[in-house]
Parts: sequence; structure tokens; C-alpha cells
Amino acid sequence: MNLRRHIYKVVILVWLLGLSVAIAAPSDDLKAANQLYDAGKFAEAAVAYEKIEPKAAHVYYNLGNAWFRQDKLGLAILNYAQARRLAPRDPDILANLKFAQQRLGVDDVNTPPRATQRFLRSVIERCTASEWSAGELVGLWLLALAIGACVYIPKARAAFLVIAVAGFFVFGFSSFALSDQVISNHIAPQAIVVAAETEARFAPLSDSTVHFRLAEGTRVAIREDRGQWLFVERADGQQGWVKAESIGRITNF
Amino acid sequence: MRFCLIIGFLLAATRVFADVSVVASVDRNRISFGESVTLTVAVQGAHNGEPSIPKVDGLTFNGPSTSTSFSFVNGQTSQSISYTYQVTPGRTGEFIIPAIGVNIGNNTYSTTPIKLVVEKGGSQGDLGQTPFGRVVLPSQQVYIGQTVPLDVYIIWRPEVPLRGSGGFNYQAEGLGYKFLPNLKSGSQVINGEQFNVGVFQGAISPTTTGTLNFGPCFLRVQLTVPNRGGNSLFDDMFGRTQVREVPITIDAVPVTVLPLPEEGRPSDFSGAVGQWNLEVTAKPAEVAVGDPITFTIKISGNGNIDTVPTPKLGALDEFKTYEPTTKTTKDDLNTTGERVIQQVLIARSTEIKQLPEVRLTYFDPVARAYKVATQAPIKLVVKAGSGGQSTIVSGGNRLRPEEKLGQDIVYLKGDLGPVPLATPFCATPTFWALNTMPVLALLGGIGWKKRSDKFRGDVAYARRVRAARDARKLLAAATNYDEVQHAMQNYLGDRLNIPAAGITASVAEEQLLPRGVDTQLAADLKACFEACDTARFAGQSADTGLAATRKNVERLIDELEKTHL
Repeated sequence: MNLRRHIYKVVILVWLLGLSVAIAAPSDDLKAANQLYDAGKFAEAAVAYEKIEPKAAHVYYNLGNAWFRQDKLGLAILNYAQARRLAPRDPDILANLKFAQQRLGVDDVNTPPRATQRFLRSVIERCTASEWSAGELVGLWLLALAIGACVYIPKARAAFLVIAVAGFFVFGFSSFALSDQVISNHIAPQAIVVAAETEARFAPLSDSTVHFRLAEGTRVAIREDRGQWLFVERADGQQGWVKAESIGRITNF
Repeated sequence: MRFCLIIGFLLAATRVFADVSVVASVDRNRISFGESVTLTVAVQGAHNGEPSIPKVDGLTFNGPSTSTSFSFVNGQTSQSISYTYQVTPGRTGEFIIPAIGVNIGNNTYSTTPIKLVVEKGGSQGDLGQTPFGRVVLPSQQVYIGQTVPLDVYIIWRPEVPLRGSGGFNYQAEGLGYKFLPNLKSGSQVINGEQFNVGVFQGAISPTTTGTLNFGPCFLRVQLTVPNRGGNSLFDDMFGRTQVREVPITIDAVPVTVLPLPEEGRPSDFSGAVGQWNLEVTAKPAEVAVGDPITFTIKISGNGNIDTVPTPKLGALDEFKTYEPTTKTTKDDLNTTGERVIQQVLIARSTEIKQLPEVRLTYFDPVARAYKVATQAPIKLVVKAGSGGQSTIVSGGNRLRPEEKLGQDIVYLKGDLGPVPLATPFCATPTFWALNTMPVLALLGGIGWKKRSDKFRGDVAYARRVRAARDARKLLAAATNYDEVQHAMQNYLGDRLNIPAAGITASVAEEQLLPRGVDTQLAADLKACFEACDTARFAGQSADTGLAATRKNVERLIDELEKTHL
């Protein structure tokens, strides 16, 4: 019983430490930008949202709305994606992101083709990197404490082994999700096509053959950065060189 | 009975032979000398009858290879057999492949003659100076509205790799040309020599009649050629190359666009051109008055689906109808397509016995004839509604119209929401410290447990570990020589795992020397024992030399602790 209480305390402590985000109070800048939006001045509102620091989840969300109203759906999707990185379970952000993707017809393009990939992606994107960090810690502590308890309390070994296995899986999957969000994002940063239509070419040359075309709002992974040209990969695995100005990077994790 | 079967068979056979048609076609009418064309003789409505290939001076026919098919479309069965020949010209010039006869039963069917033009290899590209381009069109005679594949080939030698291409420009007024921007690569043997080929796949769908031109076409290709400017020896060794851009011009190809024939044109023809199949379904086939029936018409086949109108339905007065939904899918070049029309019908009366006939009239450019695809009326069983009435009911009261909800983005948020930390939690020292702690704690705990277990199970080990600590405690509390000696005996007993009571100076020496203890140390220990004995038996008081002896014993314990016994 005492041990359980300690485990509970550790879990709560680690979880609280793992939360990388804080809920911030509304700022005057945000209110002013929202007033511009309400007045129908979407371009001015977008500029005002861009100036707000720090870029909290709802700032990105409101900025996405401002771009949406200006019919810049690629930029809207980019900002909704940024907002989702910070608040991955916010229903409004998810709804607007889906709506904008459907409007551009890219919701299928941005979905991985295999069912297992789709499932993993949906689970991994349900939490922020910091939440996965906390999950990884909880799993590791649970695993270590359960193994320790197995050693010291052999009578309850079976029960602690179950907890150890659970801890191992929590630790393993959280580590996998964390590495996917942080390491993969470092190796191949995620980005959104913001130009109306972008040609992906076989080589970083303006007159090289067009391999395929990327619709506005398409999600890509940047495999190589050569300044003005980026080598990108679409969700279906197609790769090509695109001009850097037609792509917006998702920066937060 | 047998007589009836024979009559039936003969009638069926007559019907089969009455629908037989034989068509000959080549994949290209214009080729370069050294290439070959594929001649296909398709026999529709029969499954036998090999063509009699006539002899043509200058042409060699190899084959045939055959393929048969059997299909059941729109409630009608059809069978066909195709004979494929490779035709290789022995010289340049114009050839006519005369009518090919096919004997089926007692009848002989003939194809129409085919013209084949064989040009010099250099007429559409000099094989000596690659890369060059050419246009490949299955037939230069097409019908208005027909969709025909038209591919643009770029041909180059394998030893000079193509790095890219661009600037594809063409003239194709009135031909409705579309192409796929992705260059499809492959290889081709021309005049017995292997070449690499890149193909811009495309299709034309003419919008005006007359003799039109496809081309000329212009494009630029980038070739990877050896660097001739530097040291050729090193260039060859290290594969140094440079990219050279080469412009390519492809001559115009005439295309004759024919109008659709007036002869035999059905009155309900609405402009559909291609080869189309019609499938009609209605579900459920048994309903109650007022229940909906989903009526689905599926048109699919080869051609431009955009030219196909929605088929006209017969009288639907006995049904309440809803606006049909149409879904059209087609390939990128619009050469094949499918249109699915779904309409919800509400049966108003039990008198309804069938759904009306569906009919689609189209022009088949391959058969060069108008055809009609029809679907026989679908039988329906309409029962009385739940109220037991068989009279006309108001469909509007039965089915509540589907409410259409508006869609838009969700409105703004008034607070900032989650704010990112300057440093992600996983990159902080706290995270890594919290990761390290359980591992270290676990290792420490397991080590401690092992040590405790050993203490409990190994007496010698436990005595050995405790020996020095216990001896020092006894020494610290010793007030006479007897207690000092007792401390020494206890220490040696614990260290050597022997009874402490029987340890004397000589026993200590006997036990320690074989275990590798320094002789001086053993001698000092023996001296200590003797000093204690002397003091005890002489009755010396504790004041005289006890502190020095105790100190000496402590030193000896320290020395022995450093020694492995």
C-alpha cells in the first residue's frame, strides 16, 4: 500500500514536470487582433497575429482563421498544423484543419497510404512531445519500481511482473513516439505546401522535368535543404525538388 | 424433343453468325524503316476462323498469336477472338495490306484494306544524331469527339544519359491535345540497335473536322556528356561529365478528323463517342408503396466520358422522383471513364410492375457505326404500404427531406492557449536526470539485496565483513589487557572463521603465515598477544602501556584489513 502511494506520487510528479506548456492568460495584442478579424480586416488581423509573442496554440489557430478568410488555405493549414503541435487534442483546431484540407481536397493526400501508418500517426499526434516525454518517464519509473518490487517482495512477484510489462510497453511506445516527433522531425522536418500549385522536379533546376505536382495544403517531409530548393517527400512516398518559397515549415514540437 | 433442340441450336447459330464482324487494324500507319507494326484481326461474335493473310510484296507477316474473350454485358453475351501478327517491311514506301478474308461457317468475311507508310529512318530523326523525337499515333484518321492516344517519343543513345527535359511546346489547334507531364522511360530497338526512349503520354480529342496538324513540337533535353574540356585521362578515370542542353524539333504529323456519319444516325443520338457499356440496377426489387428504390445507372468504357449524356429514362409518372446524383471518374487523359447516376424513386402505386427501359446511343469509332446500349425494364414488386392502402401516397409526407447543415471554420479563440517552452522538456537536464535515477536506483537496490542475501547465507563472509568493525568497538571499550586480547581473538576468529576462544599467539601465527601474511606483521601480532599475556599474569595495571598496546592492536587490524586472507 505504501509502495503504491509512492508510485502514485512519482507518476503525478513526473507528469507535472513533463507538461511543457502552460495556459497563458489572454493578451491585449490578441484581443486587438481578434477585433480586427471581427471587423473583417483579415489581412491586418493576420499581421497582428504574426506579431504576437510567444506564439501560443490559439495564436496560430486564429492566424489560420485569418488566412482562411483571405482564401490562403495553404497558409491556413500550415498554421492549424502549428497549433495542433501545441494542442493536439483541441477539437476546434482539428475541425478547422480537417475542413481546410477537405476544401483543398488534400485530406487524402496528407494521409499515409497504409492502415498501420495511419493508426500510428493518429496515436502519435494525439500528444505533444513533452507529453510523450512524461509518458516515457512514467513508463521507465514504473518498470524500475516494479522490477525492484519483484526482487524485494517475491510473494507478489506475479502482480509486479504485470506492472513491469505494462511499464515496459508505456516506456517503449512513448520513447518511439517521442523519437518520431523529435528525432524524425529533426531529420526530415514537416512542412506544408503554401503556394497555389507547386511542381516537384527531378532536379533542383528550373527547367528540369516535372515529376509530379503538389497541391496547396499538401503535407511533405523535407529530406534535403539546398537553400532555394528543397527535396521533399509526399505522404505516398513520391519525392521531388521544390522551390523553398512554396513551402512553409512546421516549427513547433 | 430432339428435333426442338436441333431447331433451337440452328436458330442460335444463325443469330451468332448474323452478329459476326471482322475488323483489321495496325498500331501505327506510319513507321520508320527497321521498325515493325502490329496487325490485329479481331473477329467479333465467333470463336474460330483463322484469317487468310495475303502475300504482300515487301512485307513479312509473323504470327499469329491469338487471344479469345467471352463477355456478358447488358444481358447479352458476346465472344471474340483476336489474331495478332508482327509485320516487318523489307523496304521503304507505301504498302496496302489488302482485305483479309476469314471463313466462319459457310460465310467468308473480309476486312477493309489498310495503308502502311514506311519511311527512311532519318525522316523523323537521324539515328546518327540522337536525341531526336517522333510522334506516335495509332491512326491518322480519327472522328470528331473520339479520344485517341498520341505519344511523343524522345529517343537517345544509352551511352549519353538523359538528365532531364523541359520546355515542351507544341501546336495542336483543334485537336484538344492533353499530355501527362511525367516522362515515362523505356527502351526500343531501332534498326537492330538499342535506344533509350522517353515518352510523353498524351491523347487527342478533336473538336473540329478537316485535315489538321499535330506539331511541330519543340522541347529541350539535358544530356550528360563526358567533359571534353579537361584532362581526358582523368575525366575518364573519375567519370567527370558536363550537362549539355540540346533542342529537339519534331515535324508536324497530319491528322484527318472525320465528321460523324449521317448515315444510320439514330434520332436520339446525343454526341456520345466511344465504346460504352451500360449496367442498370434497382434496389430493392420488392418494396411497399412509399418506400424508396435506389435506381443506379453505370456507364463505363473507352472514350471521352464528358461526351456521354445522362441516358433518357422512360415514363416515371408513377414514381415520385428526387434529383439524381452523378459521379464521374476518368483517367488523366480522358481515354477511359465511368459515370454512375443514382436516382431515388418512390413507388406511388401497387400497379407498378417494372422500371422503365434505359437506352444509350453512341458512335463506336472502331466499328465505325452507331450502336445502342439498352437495359431491359427491371421487374418490380410493389406491395401496399403499412396502412394497407394501395392508393397513391404523398411521398413528401413519408420522407422528411434531409437537412443540409452549413459548414465553415470554427470561430476565433479568446485566450492564448498552450504556450511552447523555450526548451522542450525532453532536452532539459531534469528529463535526463529523471531518466537516469530509476536505472541507478534499480541497480543499487538489486546490489543491496544480493549483499543482504549473502550476509544471511554465508556465515564466513558475514563474520569477515563485520570483524574489523566489531573488534574496534571492543578495543574502544577495553579497560584492561584481557579485553584487548579478547578483541584480538574475536577479530582473528571472525577473519579466519574459526572459534575465537582458542586463539593464542602461536595459533595466530600458525593460521596467518600459511595465508601469506607478512612475517613481520605476524611477529607483531604474536608480540601483542604475549604482551597481553604477560600483563595479565604479572598483574600490571591498565595505566602502564595499555593505551600503547591498544593503539598497536588497532594498527595491526588496519594492516590485516589490507591483507587478503
